[in-house]
Amino acid sequence: MKIVIAGAGEVGAHLAKLLSNENQDIILIDENAERLATLDSLYNIMTFVGSPTCFETLRDARVASADLFIAVTPYETDNVVACSMAKQLGAKTSVARISSYDYMNPDNREMVRRMGVDRLIYPEYLAAAEIITALEHSWARHWFELHDGQIILVGVRIHEGAKIAGMHLKDFANTNHNFHVSAIKRHHETIIPRGDDIIEVGDILYITTTREHVNDLLAITGKVSHRIRKVLIMGGSKIAIRLANMVGDKYKIRIIEIDRNRCLNLPAKCGDCEIICGDARDPELLAELGIEDTDAFIALTDSSETNILACLTAKEHGVKKTIAEVENLQFISQAEGLNIGTIINKKLLASSSIFQMLLDSDSSTSKCLALTDAEVAELEARVGSKITGKPVYKLNLPRDITLAGLIRDGKGMLITGSTIIEPGDHVLVFCLSGAIHKAERLFN
Amino acid sequence: MIPTERPLINILQLLRIVGVLLVIEAVFLTVPTATCLYFGEEDWIPFATATILTALLGFVLIYCIHPRVTSMAKRDGFLLTALVWIIFSLFGMMPFLSCSTPLSVTDAFFEAMSGFTTTGATIYNTEQMMNMSHGVMLWRAMTQWLGGMGIILFTLAVVPMLNHSGGIQMFNAEVTGITHEKIRPRISQTALSLWSVYLCLSLILIVLLSLGPMSIFESICHAFGTISTGGFTTDPSGMVYRTSDYSMWIIALFMFLGGVNFALMFKTLSGDFKALKHNDVFRTYVYVIVIFFVLFVISIINAGCFHSIREITIEPLFQIISVITSTGYVADRISNWGPFVLALVLLMMFTGACAGSTSGGSKIDRMLFLLKHCSNEIYRSIYPNSVRSVRINGNLIKPEIGNKVIAFLCLYGLLTAVGGLILTALGVPLINSFFSSFSCISNTGIGVGILGIGGSYAALPDAAKWTLSLLMLIGRLEIFTILLLFSRTFWTK
Repeated sequence: MKIVIAGAGEVGAHLAKLLSNENQDIILIDENAERLATLDSLYNIMTFVGSPTCFETLRDARVASADLFIAVTPYETDNVVACSMAKQLGAKTSVARISSYDYMNPDNREMVRRMGVDRLIYPEYLAAAEIITALEHSWARHWFELHDGQIILVGVRIHEGAKIAGMHLKDFANTNHNFHVSAIKRHHETIIPRGDDIIEVGDILYITTTREHVNDLLAITGKVSHRIRKVLIMGGSKIAIRLANMVGDKYKIRIIEIDRNRCLNLPAKCGDCEIICGDARDPELLAELGIEDTDAFIALTDSSETNILACLTAKEHGVKKTIAEVENLQFISQAEGLNIGTIINKKLLASSSIFQMLLDSDSSTSKCLALTDAEVAELEARVGSKITGKPVYKLNLPRDITLAGLIRDGKGMLITGSTIIEPGDHVLVFCLSGAIHKAERLFN
Repeated sequence: MIPTERPLINILQLLRIVGVLLVIEAVFLTVPTATCLYFGEEDWIPFATATILTALLGFVLIYCIHPRVTSMAKRDGFLLTALVWIIFSLFGMMPFLSCSTPLSVTDAFFEAMSGFTTTGATIYNTEQMMNMSHGVMLWRAMTQWLGGMGIILFTLAVVPMLNHSGGIQMFNAEVTGITHEKIRPRISQTALSLWSVYLCLSLILIVLLSLGPMSIFESICHAFGTISTGGFTTDPSGMVYRTSDYSMWIIALFMFLGGVNFALMFKTLSGDFKALKHNDVFRTYVYVIVIFFVLFVISIINAGCFHSIREITIEPLFQIISVITSTGYVADRISNWGPFVLALVLLMMFTGACAGSTSGGSKIDRMLFLLKHCSNEIYRSIYPNSVRSVRINGNLIKPEIGNKVIAFLCLYGLLTAVGGLILTALGVPLINSFFSSFSCISNTGIGVGILGIGGSYAALPDAAKWTLSLLMLIGRLEIFTILLLFSRTFWTK
């Protein structure tokens, strides 16, 4: 597939690397020649220097023959204009990154489409949605559900004293038929486990299960589910504003923002929240706000380091759930090793939605989740594809792919070695980095 | 804790890729083996032996080495590129050792390296060439053909294994020019496009040559030597192409094409004429040829060598294109044309043709940059506050890249001199030393015979041949890739 990406910022560069590893043809456009030169010499991509909103640049980059045009410059208007131009030039599908809800509003959808923007990526919205999921399932690190929770993938960290710590995976599988350990993140590496792997303390286990059995997981992993009511947000960023608008009165939200001018603008943007002007790193301020009674602490400042440290402090004060925004990809692994609940990264969220578009260009039902070094995708088995007709253990799957569960006729079930996948099944596939195109080939 | 520690140089992975490359070379070696069998020559035995040994080692490396880390970094890319060229020459020289016209190890390595780097300097003399088997002739031609577009580039096009960042390093290390242009998003596609242009041109040339007085076999050998701008021939006296005006025109045309940037040709062929219009390197290339042609004709008339129309048309034109593209075919009587012509020949050997082509030399791109840069500096002596930049093909050359170009040109001159010095130290006459060194680093391969004095590559001492072989490789990989291996920074963290 030929993909043109406009804007080599953090998201653009990340997408380019990721998609190039997935064997896609990537052309990257940016105005900054130095940025491009570095990327060009390191990755399997082609680059063009020029403005994404310039017809000549777009023609040079052969946008006319592109299957997908992704505009991810920092400016919303540039992205929309670039998409519109690309679409006029003949790009098949266009995607724009936006930063206000306005374009997403269903009332305006048709107009936006007529402007030439087929799909939208709104990282702040995705992040807010992710935070809401994390608040609802406060005991899990990741929560990814398909078809209204028929199949659920849960990421949990194994703490000291959990029943299953030290268990061989094959023993775990023999005693727990309702769970499928799809992957283990240990230290900085995600592995697809085999029978003789041992579950260790500190691992993050990605377990697939069905809706009926998800509550049993709590007991096995030694977790307790907390109901979240009081939420403290550090940093009045766009994500915070979006979040405040989306949750309504389900949670009692307080936002701490250090910048006085920003504080003054916040009440107009996010309704009923309480705004506090101050530094969330100040222990006295936290005590004054009653940090001990707070159920969830969400750190959303621009600095990943501050967010990580603030969450750790909050944990020490007894906050049950902490969520940190970590924009630096290298820090994510580090942060996951620490006792921080959920980590939000806009780049990963944006790549999740792009993967979703790649895998399923005709409908938007498929879901996809990008982790730091792995992807989880929902794939539909096509008639006559390699994956169907044989029991799974006979398929000789590549080592970096595992099939976790499937949905047949709207009903979720787990996959074992003897399962035979039928055409039309929606399968939850866990792939290590760069393997998603292999999985896709198996399903088509 | 980092899960897998990366060695400074991922030797296991390198060896494995070398294995793949050896298998590829073995496949190519089967062609001259088959040719020998077809012509009923004894030489099929050394070729078959070489094929089997190469393939065997290749498969051993592929199947016995399973590196834990498969990633390749910058260092690996550079080292592998250099290694590949040396290993190809080492295995490619095996048939020369025990064929019906046998060579010593030194001579065989020189011959193979001269082929792969498209230098075209040969050890064989006329008498040996007469007795040479078809297999050996074809293999000599094939080494040039493979080396012309690039061994790495060929591998990138056919082996998906290298299609990652390490492959990009290797692409950059092998392809000539100031900057390396990708013409399609993936490196393998770029390699494939360039190789298909190359392959098509080769096939057309074979057909066109065989329509003339040459036999099919001679056409193939000359086509390979022409399009790769190598310069090996099946007949050292050059009578095969010199006697026919038709062959000379065709060869001149395709040498010219071999000196054009292949990426530019690909773009033009796929209908992008804008690229051709904006390419000032190509324009300069044409202008240089035209101007030199006029100068040649004047010199020839002055020297009293004007007897027939072909002496002021195809002969000088053929010679100019042959030298500027670093092919090294020699038209008749060049030493009679006077010293000015020889000086021009030396100048062209230095400049070479366009970057990204199969030609050698320092490339017109760099000369163009140097001239524009110098003119800017002269302008700035009067207006010191003016800010001027250099554009090549419409692209701004950044100061860092400009510095690299200047460093390249200095090193180029320096290495030529060092090569010449080493040869004089070995007792080679002064002019022969410097000329051979120059001819090898520029990958032209013209013998000192062109100067009208005696001497050939065969007569040089062994140490001189090894020195020249190294110079050829340095010239082909454009200096930095090889010199880097001799630097301390490369081997230490």
